[in-house]
Amino acid sequence: MAAEEATRPVIEVRGLVKRFGRATALDGLDLVVQRGEVHGFLGPNGAGKSTTIRALLGLLQVSGGVASVFGLDPWRDAVQIHRRLAYVPGDVSLWPNLSGGETIDMLIRMRGGNPEQSRREELLERFQLDPTKRGRAYSKGNRQKVALVAAFATESELLILDEPTSGLDPLMEEVFNECVAQHTEAGATVLLSSHILSEVERLANRVTIIREGRTVETGTLADLRHLHRSHVRADVSGAMPELNGIAGVHDVTITGSSVSCTVDPEGLSPVLEALTRAGVRALTSTPPTLEELFLDAYRVPGGSAPEGSAR
Amino acid sequence: MTWTGTGLLLRHGLRRDRALVGGWLVVLLGVCYASASATASLYPTVREQVSAAETINASPAIVALYGPILDVHNVGELAMTKMTVLYAVFVAIMFLVVVRRHTRTDEESGRAELLGGTAIGRNAPMAASVLEGAGIALALGLLAAVVDVVGGLPVRGSLFFGASWFGIGLVATGLTAVACQLSASARTCAAITGGALGVLFLVRAVGDTSIGWLSWLSPFGWSTQLRAWSDTRWWVLLLYPVAAGLLVALAQTLRAHRDLGSGLVAVRPGPATGSPRLTDAISLSVRVHGPMIAAWTGAVAVLGLVLGAIAPNIGDLLDSPAARRMMERVGGVGALQDTLLTAELSISAVVITCFAIAVVGHTGADEQDGRTEQVLATATSRSRAFLATLLVAGVGGSWLLLVTGVATSLGFGASGGAIGDSFGRILAAALVQAPAVWLVTALAVASFALRSGWTFLGWALLVLFLMLGQVGELLKLPGWVIGLSPYGHVPKMPVESFALAPTLVLSGIAAALCLGAWGRYRTRDIG
Repeated sequence: MAAEEATRPVIEVRGLVKRFGRATALDGLDLVVQRGEVHGFLGPNGAGKSTTIRALLGLLQVSGGVASVFGLDPWRDAVQIHRRLAYVPGDVSLWPNLSGGETIDMLIRMRGGNPEQSRREELLERFQLDPTKRGRAYSKGNRQKVALVAAFATESELLILDEPTSGLDPLMEEVFNECVAQHTEAGATVLLSSHILSEVERLANRVTIIREGRTVETGTLADLRHLHRSHVRADVSGAMPELNGIAGVHDVTITGSSVSCTVDPEGLSPVLEALTRAGVRALTSTPPTLEELFLDAYRVPGGSAPEGSAR
Repeated sequence: MTWTGTGLLLRHGLRRDRALVGGWLVVLLGVCYASASATASLYPTVREQVSAAETINASPAIVALYGPILDVHNVGELAMTKMTVLYAVFVAIMFLVVVRRHTRTDEESGRAELLGGTAIGRNAPMAASVLEGAGIALALGLLAAVVDVVGGLPVRGSLFFGASWFGIGLVATGLTAVACQLSASARTCAAITGGALGVLFLVRAVGDTSIGWLSWLSPFGWSTQLRAWSDTRWWVLLLYPVAAGLLVALAQTLRAHRDLGSGLVAVRPGPATGSPRLTDAISLSVRVHGPMIAAWTGAVAVLGLVLGAIAPNIGDLLDSPAARRMMERVGGVGALQDTLLTAELSISAVVITCFAIAVVGHTGADEQDGRTEQVLATATSRSRAFLATLLVAGVGGSWLLLVTGVATSLGFGASGGAIGDSFGRILAAALVQAPAVWLVTALAVASFALRSGWTFLGWALLVLFLMLGQVGELLKLPGWVIGLSPYGHVPKMPVESFALAPTLVLSGIAAALCLGAWGRYRTRDIG
């Protein structure tokens, strides 16, 4: 039983469908988050990230598909699941007449924790948050800090963070990254939805990219990179080779003795051979940035080569 | 420069308010027209009109609520008796809602900041909302005069009556503008304005029933003293704009001395840690509504004391032949006091229902703003979150009725009423209202359970029930329509004796509604 618990994914979503009236928010979404990983959950605005998270929290009743958290049903076993997780919403709204400190302690207690034995004080210090202000007096960033301190203060098995750093300054983002790292070292699993790609790149082991309520790509960052084109730039001393004819080569631009192009993984070998023959003087090959993965995934379903996207 | 953009904001404000204000105007003007046209047919001869007016004047309960009829020979004054004072309160509430939403509510939500960053002057938001208030007041006053004339009342009197609503609108606009400078919380600002309107109404009620000069301290008293329908004291009309002007000037001065988003009263820092008792949805709801419960407790205690104190002093009103006839008919001074107490407690029940509906409204706002989501993402079950609202609204409402009963009894005793057995009688008369309050609360809860954005239905139903009770008979509505209002089924204690059947039926319906709402809330989407 314990062994099964250790190998089973913490979050498992298969073919999730959620309709709001006629609008379909989730249309067969898949998401698997393994124990102990930081899983980046990416997608453009309105792709269904928050809807998925709210379904995982049992706040929405799904129209189809299956979802489980800790092997339990989020709708039926919500309270049991919630004891073991901490959630930070994307847009934190606080009770206007409660102080930040009161809100933090209350949320910790509501999850069954004890604020006095938590890391609350240390986190208030690190996030430089004044806990005596009233809810209505906090700025967006500080409201987010209130929710983050409440979430990071106890050792939850699962952290569900919905665009948690959108209001934080770079210094605070750094603190946030450290907190996530500390929790994963302690064995926590993190589902991190985000627009900030560099953040996901730094923290996430695996990512899932969704679009229009469907999963477009999922895998480790290395896997995803492998499926995508690299950017190749070269200076040659001899005659410019004819790269356009090689399969998997796109967007060839020639300026004098310099050439730049994007190359699918299978095209890399022939391109390098051709360049070597032409007497290569300088060569850079950049793996696709997450931005490019992101843009690819958004533009064309399945993440195959985008048509006419010159980059 | 600081006024730049006032016109733009005014147009924007009118656009945002068109449904709300439009609906409100239709209800007010509809009731106005109905009263105007129904009265003449209800009392076709002058004799009957005079007799009806004298009956009103002879009943302290009615005078406390609607003010006296100064000229019993004028059909206009008889027709508009409820409109002049009691409905003027509903007029005032409309301006509270409108002015607050464009000043303090926008500041609290950050929308004012968004606008402040554009080429909009610092003074423009308040100027625009005051202008909007004045404009709506003018339109309301003119339309009220028109529907009165169409309803068959004299033109001159109708115009002066319309002018009194215009005046009330102006004063309410000024009052709200001042209140919205005081606190950073839009809810507190509404409470301050509502409290001020309550005090002004109460001062007039005391003035009209015992200490005459007090009526002149309240705009609601001016509306009666204006004598819109005969021997008009036209100069009373000057009081409204002067008062409104002073209030707006005060608001502007206060505004100049504070920063955007802050109140005049500085917010004290809160506790750095949470109380160990703040552990679940129920304690959260109690904590969030604590200040509101305290303020309401104080308000209904004062209301009860004052209303209780009026009852023993109604002798002053009883020196007319009509009054003596009426007194004999109902069975002596004691019975007349009881009639007054019944009317007061019935109105208190409606007022206390506002507390419960406001609590349900806050729960709706919590869900829409995402606070409920944070609570439900902890180990809090849906049932517990639901129970939290139900408890604070239901038990809170019952508590306020209890306070009203105790305070009314004390006020009654303090001003010379026979307290002895009255204490228990008055307390029971207050508590017997509870099932009606519960039922309307349950309707609000059910609306919320259907959809978090539907809590306004609670207010709409309360207004409907109030209207049915006030003008249902005047409009000769069928009995079953009037019977829709739960307040009408409450045993009229202490005049009548306690009746078990309506108490059980009302409570039973309330319980059934709550059960249904609970079932729905457990299975619907949150947000």
